[in-house]
Amino acid sequence: MLSFFKFVGNKGFMSQKKIHEDQKYVDGLVNNNAFIIQAIYDKFAPKVINYIKQNSGDADNAQDIIQDTIITIYNQGSQKGLQLTCPFDAYFFLLCKRKWLNVLKKSNNKEVTINEETLSKDDDAYQLSFETSVFEDKQKLFNQMFQKLGDACKDLLQATFKIKSMEEVAKSLNVSYAYARKKKSLCIGQLTKLVKESPTFNQLNY
Amino acid sequence: MEEQDYILFENYLAGDLSADQILDFENRLKTDQNFKQAFTIYKQLSTNLEHEIGNKNKNSDFKANLDGISHKYFTKLEDQEHPIAVKKSFNFYKLAIAASIALVMGFFAYNQFSGGANYSDFNTHDTIDFSVRDAEGNIGLLIKTTKAFNNKDYKKAKAYLEELLQDDPDNVEYNFYYAITNIELDEFAKAETILDDISQGSSAYNNKAKWYLALSKLKQEKEAECKTILLTIPKDADDYNQALKLLNKLE
Repeated sequence: MLSFFKFVGNKGFMSQKKIHEDQKYVDGLVNNNAFIIQAIYDKFAPKVINYIKQNSGDADNAQDIIQDTIITIYNQGSQKGLQLTCPFDAYFFLLCKRKWLNVLKKSNNKEVTINEETLSKDDDAYQLSFETSVFEDKQKLFNQMFQKLGDACKDLLQATFKIKSMEEVAKSLNVSYAYARKKKSLCIGQLTKLVKESPTFNQLNY
Repeated sequence: MEEQDYILFENYLAGDLSADQILDFENRLKTDQNFKQAFTIYKQLSTNLEHEIGNKNKNSDFKANLDGISHKYFTKLEDQEHPIAVKKSFNFYKLAIAASIALVMGFFAYNQFSGGANYSDFNTHDTIDFSVRDAEGNIGLLIKTTKAFNNKDYKKAKAYLEELLQDDPDNVEYNFYYAITNIELDEFAKAETILDDISQGSSAYNNKAKWYLALSKLKQEKEAECKTILLTIPKDADDYNQALKLLNKLE
Protein backbone atom coordinates (compact mmCIF):
# COMPACT_ATOMS: atom_id res chain seq x y z
CA MET A 1 0.00 0.00 0.00
CA LEU A 2 2.73 2.40 1.04
CA SER A 3 4.67 2.02 -2.17
CA PHE A 4 1.49 2.46 -4.17
CA PHE A 5 0.90 5.85 -2.61
CA LYS A 6 4.51 6.75 -3.09
CA PHE A 7 4.15 5.99 -6.75
CA VAL A 8 0.90 7.85 -7.15
CA GLY A 9 2.56 10.81 -5.47
CA ASN A 10 5.37 10.78 -7.97
CA LYS A 11 3.62 10.02 -11.19
CA GLY A 12 0.19 11.48 -10.87
CA PHE A 13 -3.22 10.05 -10.36
CA MET A 14 -4.10 7.45 -12.96
CA SER A 15 -0.81 5.62 -13.42
CA GLN A 16 -0.43 2.06 -12.30
CA LYS A 17 2.71 0.54 -10.88
CA LYS A 18 5.25 0.14 -13.61
CA ILE A 19 5.94 -3.36 -14.88
CA HIS A 20 9.61 -4.17 -14.51
CA GLU A 21 11.56 -5.05 -17.66
CA ASP A 22 12.34 -8.42 -16.05
CA GLN A 23 8.74 -9.36 -16.81
CA LYS A 24 10.38 -10.99 -19.85
CA TYR A 25 11.48 -13.87 -17.60
CA VAL A 26 7.92 -14.53 -16.44
CA ASP A 27 6.57 -14.29 -19.99
CA GLY A 28 9.37 -16.52 -21.26
CA LEU A 29 8.46 -19.21 -18.74
CA VAL A 30 4.78 -19.03 -19.63
CA ASN A 31 5.70 -19.47 -23.30
CA ASN A 32 8.09 -22.34 -22.53
CA ASN A 33 10.98 -20.43 -24.06
CA ALA A 34 14.11 -22.60 -23.61
CA PHE A 35 16.40 -19.62 -24.10
CA ILE A 36 14.79 -17.75 -21.20
CA ILE A 37 14.77 -20.82 -18.95
CA GLN A 38 18.47 -21.28 -19.62
CA ALA A 39 19.09 -17.59 -18.89
CA ILE A 40 17.30 -17.89 -15.54
CA TYR A 41 19.65 -20.72 -14.58
CA ASP A 42 22.75 -18.92 -15.78
CA LYS A 43 21.93 -15.62 -14.12
CA PHE A 44 19.99 -16.41 -10.99
CA ALA A 45 20.79 -19.98 -9.93
CA PRO A 46 24.34 -19.41 -8.58
CA LYS A 47 23.16 -17.13 -5.79
CA VAL A 48 20.51 -19.63 -4.71
CA ILE A 49 22.96 -22.54 -4.84
CA ASN A 50 25.42 -20.61 -2.67
CA TYR A 51 22.76 -19.73 -0.18
CA ILE A 52 21.52 -23.31 0.15
CA LYS A 53 25.04 -24.69 0.43
CA GLN A 54 25.81 -22.24 3.22
CA ASN A 55 22.65 -23.27 5.02
CA SER A 56 22.95 -27.04 5.51
CA GLY A 57 22.06 -28.00 1.93
CA ASP A 58 23.79 -29.30 -1.18
CA ALA A 59 23.59 -28.92 -4.95
CA ASP A 60 20.85 -31.58 -5.21
CA ASN A 61 18.69 -29.64 -2.76
CA ALA A 62 19.31 -26.47 -4.75
CA GLN A 63 18.33 -28.22 -7.97
CA ASP A 64 14.96 -29.27 -6.51
CA ILE A 65 14.24 -25.91 -4.89
CA ILE A 66 15.03 -23.98 -8.07
CA GLN A 67 12.98 -26.30 -10.25
CA ASP A 68 9.96 -26.16 -7.92
CA THR A 69 10.18 -22.39 -7.75
CA ILE A 70 10.29 -22.04 -11.52
CA ILE A 71 7.25 -24.31 -11.87
CA THR A 72 5.37 -22.15 -9.35
CA ILE A 73 6.19 -18.98 -11.27
CA TYR A 74 5.10 -20.68 -14.49
CA ASN A 75 1.81 -21.74 -12.88
CA GLN A 76 1.08 -18.32 -11.47
CA GLY A 77 2.14 -16.60 -14.66
CA SER A 78 -0.13 -18.86 -16.70
CA GLN A 79 -3.15 -18.44 -14.44
CA LYS A 80 -3.04 -15.03 -12.93
CA GLY A 81 -1.02 -13.00 -15.35
CA LEU A 82 1.73 -12.42 -12.78
CA GLN A 83 3.04 -8.88 -13.20
CA LEU A 84 6.54 -8.22 -11.99
CA THR A 85 7.05 -4.76 -10.49
CA CYS A 86 10.52 -5.55 -9.12
CA PRO A 87 13.73 -7.16 -10.42
CA PHE A 88 13.40 -10.90 -11.06
CA ASP A 89 16.60 -11.51 -9.11
CA ALA A 90 15.23 -10.35 -5.75
CA TYR A 91 11.84 -11.96 -6.30
CA PHE A 92 13.29 -15.31 -7.33
CA PHE A 93 15.86 -15.40 -4.56
CA LEU A 94 13.27 -14.66 -1.87
CA LEU A 95 11.02 -17.42 -3.18
CA CYS A 96 13.82 -20.00 -3.25
CA LYS A 97 15.07 -18.94 0.14
CA ARG A 98 11.67 -19.18 1.77
CA LYS A 99 11.08 -22.57 0.18
CA TRP A 100 14.43 -23.88 1.43
CA LEU A 101 13.85 -22.61 4.95
CA ASN A 102 10.50 -24.37 4.97
CA VAL A 103 12.18 -27.62 3.93
CA LEU A 104 14.69 -27.23 6.77
CA LYS A 105 11.92 -26.49 9.21
CA LYS A 106 10.01 -29.61 8.24
CA SER A 107 12.95 -32.01 8.06
CA ASN A 108 14.89 -31.05 11.18
CA ASN A 109 12.14 -29.82 13.41
CA LYS A 110 14.71 -27.14 14.00
CA GLU A 111 13.67 -23.67 14.92
CA VAL A 112 14.39 -21.66 11.82
CA THR A 113 13.67 -18.00 11.78
CA ILE A 114 12.95 -16.61 8.40
CA ASN A 115 14.94 -13.43 8.45
CA GLU A 116 13.96 -11.15 5.62
CA GLU A 117 16.93 -8.93 6.35
CA THR A 118 16.92 -5.54 4.74
CA LEU A 119 13.53 -5.97 3.12
CA SER A 120 10.68 -4.16 4.70
CA LYS A 121 7.07 -5.05 4.26
CA ASP A 122 6.36 -2.51 1.59
CA ASP A 123 9.15 -3.75 -0.60
CA ASP A 124 7.74 -4.96 -3.92
CA ALA A 125 9.93 -8.05 -4.07
CA TYR A 126 8.84 -9.09 -0.62
CA GLN A 127 5.17 -8.57 -1.36
CA LEU A 128 5.20 -10.23 -4.75
CA SER A 129 7.15 -13.23 -3.51
CA PHE A 130 4.79 -13.53 -0.58
CA GLU A 131 1.79 -13.51 -2.93
CA THR A 132 3.45 -16.20 -5.02
CA SER A 133 4.07 -18.35 -1.94
CA VAL A 134 0.41 -18.04 -0.95
CA PHE A 135 -0.58 -18.84 -4.53
CA GLU A 136 1.52 -21.98 -4.38
CA ASP A 137 -0.04 -23.10 -1.09
CA LYS A 138 -3.48 -22.60 -2.60
CA GLN A 139 -2.61 -24.67 -5.68
CA LYS A 140 -1.37 -27.48 -3.48
CA LEU A 141 -4.53 -27.43 -1.41
CA PHE A 142 -6.75 -27.24 -4.53
CA ASN A 143 -5.04 -30.27 -6.03
CA GLN A 144 -5.30 -32.24 -2.78
CA MET A 145 -8.99 -31.44 -2.45
CA PHE A 146 -9.65 -32.41 -6.05
CA GLN A 147 -8.40 -35.89 -5.20
CA LYS A 148 -11.02 -36.07 -2.43
CA LEU A 149 -13.91 -35.63 -4.85
CA GLY A 150 -15.99 -38.62 -5.87
CA ASP A 151 -15.32 -40.21 -9.26
CA ALA A 152 -18.46 -38.74 -10.85
CA CYS A 153 -17.35 -35.18 -10.10
CA LYS A 154 -13.76 -35.89 -11.07
CA ASP A 155 -14.81 -37.31 -14.44
CA LEU A 156 -17.20 -34.49 -15.15
CA LEU A 157 -14.64 -31.80 -14.31
CA GLN A 158 -11.94 -33.57 -16.30
CA ALA A 159 -14.25 -33.64 -19.32
CA THR A 160 -15.46 -30.07 -18.79
CA PHE A 161 -12.03 -28.50 -18.69
CA LYS A 162 -10.55 -30.71 -21.36
CA ILE A 163 -13.29 -30.38 -23.95
CA LYS A 164 -14.25 -26.80 -23.03
CA SER A 165 -17.56 -26.73 -24.91
CA MET A 166 -20.31 -27.68 -22.45
CA GLU A 167 -22.52 -28.97 -25.29
CA GLU A 168 -19.89 -31.49 -26.27
CA VAL A 169 -19.24 -32.47 -22.67
CA ALA A 170 -22.95 -33.18 -22.22
CA LYS A 171 -22.94 -35.26 -25.39
CA SER A 172 -19.87 -37.24 -24.40
CA LEU A 173 -21.32 -38.04 -20.96
CA ASN A 174 -24.75 -38.72 -22.41
CA VAL A 175 -26.54 -36.15 -20.25
CA SER A 176 -28.44 -32.97 -21.06
CA TYR A 177 -26.67 -29.63 -21.39
CA ALA A 178 -28.54 -28.15 -18.43
CA TYR A 179 -27.69 -31.11 -16.25
CA ALA A 180 -23.98 -31.02 -17.16
CA ARG A 181 -23.84 -27.30 -16.47
CA LYS A 182 -25.58 -27.66 -13.10
CA LYS A 183 -23.39 -30.63 -12.16
CA LYS A 184 -20.28 -28.64 -13.00
CA SER A 185 -21.21 -25.81 -10.66
CA LEU A 186 -22.13 -28.20 -7.87
CA CYS A 187 -18.86 -30.12 -8.21
CA ILE A 188 -16.81 -26.91 -8.03
CA GLY A 189 -19.11 -25.90 -5.18
CA GLN A 190 -18.20 -29.10 -3.37
CA LEU A 191 -14.53 -28.32 -3.94
CA THR A 192 -15.10 -24.81 -2.56
CA LYS A 193 -16.54 -26.35 0.59
CA LEU A 194 -13.66 -28.81 0.95
CA VAL A 195 -11.16 -25.98 0.60
CA LYS A 196 -12.93 -23.84 3.19
CA GLU A 197 -13.11 -26.69 5.67
CA SER A 198 -9.47 -27.73 5.35
CA PRO A 199 -7.25 -27.13 8.39
CA THR A 200 -4.78 -25.01 6.40
CA PHE A 201 -7.47 -22.69 5.01
CA ASN A 202 -6.83 -19.96 7.56
CA GLN A 203 -3.24 -19.53 6.40
CA LEU A 204 -4.34 -18.72 2.87
CA ASN A 205 -5.21 -15.03 3.23
CA TYR A 206 -8.82 -15.20 2.09
CA MET B 1 -23.49 -21.68 0.63
CA GLU B 2 -26.58 -23.20 -0.97
CA GLU B 3 -26.61 -25.13 -4.25
CA GLN B 4 -28.32 -22.12 -5.80
CA ASP B 5 -25.34 -19.93 -4.96
CA TYR B 6 -22.88 -22.15 -6.78
CA ILE B 7 -25.14 -22.25 -9.82
CA LEU B 8 -25.29 -18.47 -9.68
CA PHE B 9 -21.46 -18.28 -9.51
CA GLU B 10 -21.22 -20.39 -12.65
CA ASN B 11 -23.80 -18.33 -14.51
CA TYR B 12 -22.07 -15.12 -13.54
CA LEU B 13 -18.68 -16.39 -14.70
CA ALA B 14 -20.16 -17.71 -17.94
CA GLY B 15 -21.75 -14.31 -18.61
CA ASP B 16 -25.26 -15.75 -18.60
CA LEU B 17 -26.92 -13.27 -16.22
CA SER B 18 -29.12 -10.35 -17.24
CA ALA B 19 -28.04 -6.79 -16.45
CA ASP B 20 -30.31 -6.69 -13.39
CA GLN B 21 -29.06 -10.01 -12.13
CA ILE B 22 -25.48 -8.84 -12.50
CA LEU B 23 -26.25 -5.74 -10.49
CA ASP B 24 -27.82 -7.85 -7.72
CA PHE B 25 -24.89 -10.23 -7.78
CA GLU B 26 -22.30 -7.51 -7.49
CA ASN B 27 -24.21 -5.81 -4.70
CA ARG B 28 -24.26 -9.03 -2.77
CA LEU B 29 -20.50 -9.36 -3.26
CA LYS B 30 -20.11 -5.98 -1.61
CA THR B 31 -22.37 -6.63 1.34
CA ASP B 32 -22.10 -10.36 2.09
CA GLN B 33 -18.59 -11.38 3.19
CA ASN B 34 -19.30 -15.12 3.16
CA PHE B 35 -20.74 -14.91 -0.32
CA LYS B 36 -17.74 -12.97 -1.51
CA GLN B 37 -15.25 -15.40 0.03
CA ALA B 38 -16.98 -18.44 -1.44
CA PHE B 39 -17.12 -16.77 -4.85
CA THR B 40 -13.39 -15.92 -4.70
CA ILE B 41 -12.52 -19.54 -3.93
CA TYR B 42 -14.91 -20.79 -6.62
CA LYS B 43 -13.36 -18.52 -9.22
CA GLN B 44 -9.80 -19.46 -8.29
CA LEU B 45 -10.69 -23.15 -8.36
CA SER B 46 -12.10 -22.72 -11.87
CA THR B 47 -8.91 -21.00 -13.04
CA ASN B 48 -6.82 -23.70 -11.41
CA LEU B 49 -8.78 -26.52 -13.08
CA GLU B 50 -8.61 -24.76 -16.40
CA HIS B 51 -4.83 -24.66 -16.07
CA GLU B 52 -4.24 -28.13 -14.59
CA ILE B 53 -6.63 -30.00 -16.86
CA GLY B 54 -7.07 -27.72 -19.87
CA ASN B 55 -3.33 -27.07 -20.29
CA LYS B 56 -2.19 -30.53 -19.32
CA ASN B 57 -0.11 -31.13 -22.44
CA LYS B 58 1.39 -27.67 -22.42
CA ASN B 59 2.30 -28.07 -18.74
CA SER B 60 4.02 -31.39 -19.23
CA ASP B 61 5.96 -30.04 -22.22
CA PHE B 62 7.13 -27.19 -20.02
CA LYS B 63 8.16 -29.52 -17.21
CA ALA B 64 10.07 -31.79 -19.60
CA ASN B 65 11.91 -28.82 -21.07
CA LEU B 66 12.71 -27.44 -17.63
CA ASP B 67 13.85 -30.85 -16.43
CA GLY B 68 16.30 -31.14 -19.30
CA ILE B 69 17.78 -27.66 -18.82
CA SER B 70 18.05 -28.11 -15.06
CA HIS B 71 19.72 -31.49 -15.42
CA LYS B 72 22.24 -30.16 -17.90
CA TYR B 73 23.03 -27.11 -15.78
CA PHE B 74 23.67 -29.09 -12.62
CA THR B 75 25.64 -31.83 -14.34
CA LYS B 76 27.92 -29.20 -15.84
CA LEU B 77 28.26 -27.56 -12.44
CA GLU B 78 29.23 -30.84 -10.84
CA ASP B 79 31.78 -31.54 -13.55
CA GLN B 80 33.35 -28.14 -12.92
CA GLU B 81 33.52 -28.69 -9.17
CA HIS B 82 34.70 -32.31 -9.20
CA PRO B 83 36.85 -32.84 -12.26
CA ILE B 84 37.86 -36.29 -10.97
CA ALA B 85 38.29 -37.89 -14.32
CA VAL B 86 40.61 -35.16 -15.53
CA LYS B 87 42.74 -35.24 -12.37
CA LYS B 88 43.12 -38.99 -12.45
CA SER B 89 44.20 -39.15 -16.03
CA PHE B 90 46.59 -36.29 -15.42
CA ASN B 91 48.34 -38.18 -12.62
CA PHE B 92 48.37 -41.28 -14.66
CA TYR B 93 49.83 -39.32 -17.52
CA LYS B 94 52.61 -37.95 -15.35
CA LEU B 95 53.56 -41.32 -13.98
CA ALA B 96 53.33 -43.37 -17.07
CA ILE B 97 54.31 -40.94 -19.77
CA ALA B 98 57.01 -43.06 -21.27
CA ALA B 99 55.01 -46.24 -21.35
CA SER B 100 51.98 -44.52 -22.81
CA ILE B 101 53.88 -43.20 -25.81
CA ALA B 102 54.48 -46.76 -26.89
CA LEU B 103 50.89 -47.65 -26.06
CA VAL B 104 49.44 -44.73 -28.00
CA MET B 105 51.57 -45.54 -31.02
CA GLY B 106 50.45 -49.13 -30.83
CA PHE B 107 46.84 -47.98 -30.58
CA PHE B 108 47.13 -45.85 -33.68
CA ALA B 109 48.76 -48.69 -35.56
CA TYR B 110 45.95 -50.99 -34.48
CA ASN B 111 43.34 -48.44 -35.52
CA GLN B 112 44.95 -48.08 -38.92
CA PHE B 113 44.43 -51.71 -39.65
CA SER B 114 41.16 -52.41 -37.89
CA GLY B 115 39.16 -49.63 -39.49
CA GLY B 116 38.89 -47.49 -36.38
CA ALA B 117 35.53 -47.32 -34.72
CA ASN B 118 34.54 -49.48 -31.79
CA TYR B 119 31.29 -49.51 -29.88
CA SER B 120 33.26 -49.50 -26.63
CA ASP B 121 34.79 -46.11 -27.53
CA PHE B 122 31.34 -44.55 -27.57
CA ASN B 123 29.16 -46.33 -25.04
CA THR B 124 29.67 -43.86 -22.21
CA HIS B 125 26.02 -43.42 -21.22
CA ASP B 126 24.79 -40.44 -19.25
CA THR B 127 24.21 -41.45 -15.66
CA ILE B 128 20.56 -41.52 -14.73
CA ASP B 129 18.71 -40.53 -11.61
CA PHE B 130 15.17 -41.82 -11.46
CA SER B 131 14.97 -41.36 -7.70
CA VAL B 132 14.47 -37.60 -7.74
CA ARG B 133 11.07 -37.52 -9.35
CA ASP B 134 7.74 -36.98 -7.64
CA ALA B 135 6.70 -39.43 -5.02
CA GLU B 136 4.50 -41.25 -7.51
CA GLY B 137 5.36 -44.86 -8.16
CA ASN B 138 7.75 -47.20 -6.47
CA ILE B 139 10.67 -45.17 -5.10
CA GLY B 140 12.57 -48.30 -4.01
CA LEU B 141 12.42 -49.71 -7.51
CA LEU B 142 13.44 -46.38 -9.04
CA ILE B 143 16.50 -46.22 -6.80
CA LYS B 144 17.45 -49.83 -7.58
CA THR B 145 17.12 -49.13 -11.31
CA THR B 146 19.25 -46.01 -11.04
CA LYS B 147 22.00 -47.86 -9.16
CA ALA B 148 22.04 -50.88 -11.43
CA PHE B 149 22.19 -48.79 -14.61
CA ASN B 150 24.89 -46.43 -13.33
CA ASN B 151 26.94 -49.40 -12.11
CA LYS B 152 26.66 -50.92 -15.59
CA ASP B 153 24.80 -53.93 -14.22
CA TYR B 154 22.61 -54.04 -17.31
CA LYS B 155 21.03 -57.42 -16.61
CA LYS B 156 19.58 -56.13 -13.37
CA ALA B 157 18.75 -52.73 -14.83
CA LYS B 158 16.86 -54.43 -17.65
CA ALA B 159 14.77 -56.48 -15.23
CA TYR B 160 13.95 -53.42 -13.11
CA LEU B 161 13.06 -51.33 -16.16
CA GLU B 162 10.74 -54.10 -17.32
CA GLU B 163 8.93 -53.80 -13.99
CA LEU B 164 8.69 -50.01 -14.31
CA LEU B 165 7.38 -50.31 -17.86
CA GLN B 166 4.64 -52.65 -16.75
CA ASP B 167 3.06 -49.82 -14.77
CA ASP B 168 3.97 -47.09 -17.19
CA PRO B 169 4.40 -48.60 -20.66
CA ASP B 170 4.44 -45.27 -22.53
CA ASN B 171 7.11 -43.58 -20.42
CA VAL B 172 9.66 -42.40 -23.00
CA GLU B 173 12.50 -42.13 -20.51
CA TYR B 174 12.08 -45.70 -19.24
CA ASN B 175 11.78 -46.99 -22.80
CA PHE B 176 14.89 -45.12 -23.84
CA TYR B 177 17.06 -46.57 -21.08
CA TYR B 178 15.49 -49.96 -21.59
CA ALA B 179 16.68 -49.80 -25.19
CA ILE B 180 20.23 -48.96 -24.05
CA THR B 181 20.35 -51.93 -21.69
CA ASN B 182 19.21 -54.10 -24.60
CA ILE B 183 22.06 -52.85 -26.79
CA GLU B 184 24.48 -53.60 -23.98
CA LEU B 185 23.07 -57.12 -23.70
CA ASP B 186 23.18 -57.65 -27.50
CA GLU B 187 19.39 -57.75 -27.83
CA PHE B 188 19.54 -55.53 -30.88
CA ALA B 189 16.14 -56.17 -32.43
CA LYS B 190 14.31 -55.22 -29.25
CA ALA B 191 16.44 -52.12 -28.77
CA GLU B 192 16.04 -50.92 -32.33
CA THR B 193 12.25 -51.29 -32.40
CA ILE B 194 12.01 -49.01 -29.36
CA LEU B 195 14.59 -46.52 -30.61
CA ASP B 196 12.91 -46.33 -34.01
CA ASP B 197 9.68 -45.33 -32.28
CA ILE B 198 11.31 -42.74 -30.05
CA SER B 199 13.36 -41.21 -32.85
CA GLN B 200 10.20 -40.56 -34.84
CA GLY B 201 8.42 -38.93 -31.90
CA SER B 202 8.72 -35.38 -30.63
CA SER B 203 10.09 -36.04 -27.15
CA ALA B 204 13.34 -34.69 -25.77
CA TYR B 205 14.84 -38.10 -26.54
CA ASN B 206 14.29 -38.26 -30.29
CA ASN B 207 17.82 -37.24 -31.30
CA LYS B 208 19.38 -39.32 -28.57
CA ALA B 209 17.42 -42.27 -29.89
CA LYS B 210 18.99 -41.75 -33.33
CA TRP B 211 22.44 -41.70 -31.79
CA TYR B 212 21.83 -44.96 -29.96
CA LEU B 213 20.31 -46.52 -33.05
CA ALA B 214 23.62 -45.75 -34.76
CA LEU B 215 25.54 -47.24 -31.84
CA SER B 216 23.46 -50.39 -32.04
CA LYS B 217 24.43 -50.76 -35.72
CA LEU B 218 28.06 -50.05 -34.84
CA LYS B 219 28.11 -52.78 -32.21
CA GLN B 220 26.83 -55.21 -34.87
CA GLU B 221 29.51 -53.91 -37.25
CA LYS B 222 26.87 -52.73 -39.72
CA GLU B 223 28.91 -49.70 -40.59
CA ALA B 224 27.02 -48.52 -43.66
CA GLU B 225 23.72 -48.47 -41.77
CA CYS B 226 25.45 -46.76 -38.87
CA LYS B 227 26.69 -43.99 -41.17
CA THR B 228 23.27 -43.45 -42.72
CA ILE B 229 21.73 -42.94 -39.29
CA LEU B 230 24.53 -40.68 -38.07
CA LEU B 231 23.88 -38.36 -40.97
CA THR B 232 20.31 -37.79 -39.75
CA ILE B 233 21.45 -36.33 -36.40
CA PRO B 234 20.93 -32.55 -36.50
CA LYS B 235 23.55 -30.00 -35.49
CA ASP B 236 21.76 -28.90 -32.34
CA ALA B 237 21.56 -32.43 -30.92
CA ASP B 238 23.49 -33.14 -27.71
CA ASP B 239 25.34 -35.98 -29.36
CA TYR B 240 26.19 -34.16 -32.58
CA ASN B 241 29.91 -33.87 -31.78
CA GLN B 242 30.14 -37.52 -30.83
CA ALA B 243 28.30 -38.41 -34.03
CA LEU B 244 30.73 -36.36 -36.06
CA LYS B 245 33.68 -38.04 -34.36
CA LEU B 246 32.31 -41.48 -35.08
CA LEU B 247 31.53 -40.54 -38.65
CA ASN B 248 35.13 -39.42 -39.16
CA LYS B 249 36.41 -42.68 -37.76
CA LEU B 250 34.17 -44.66 -40.05
CA GLU B 251 35.29 -42.77 -43.14
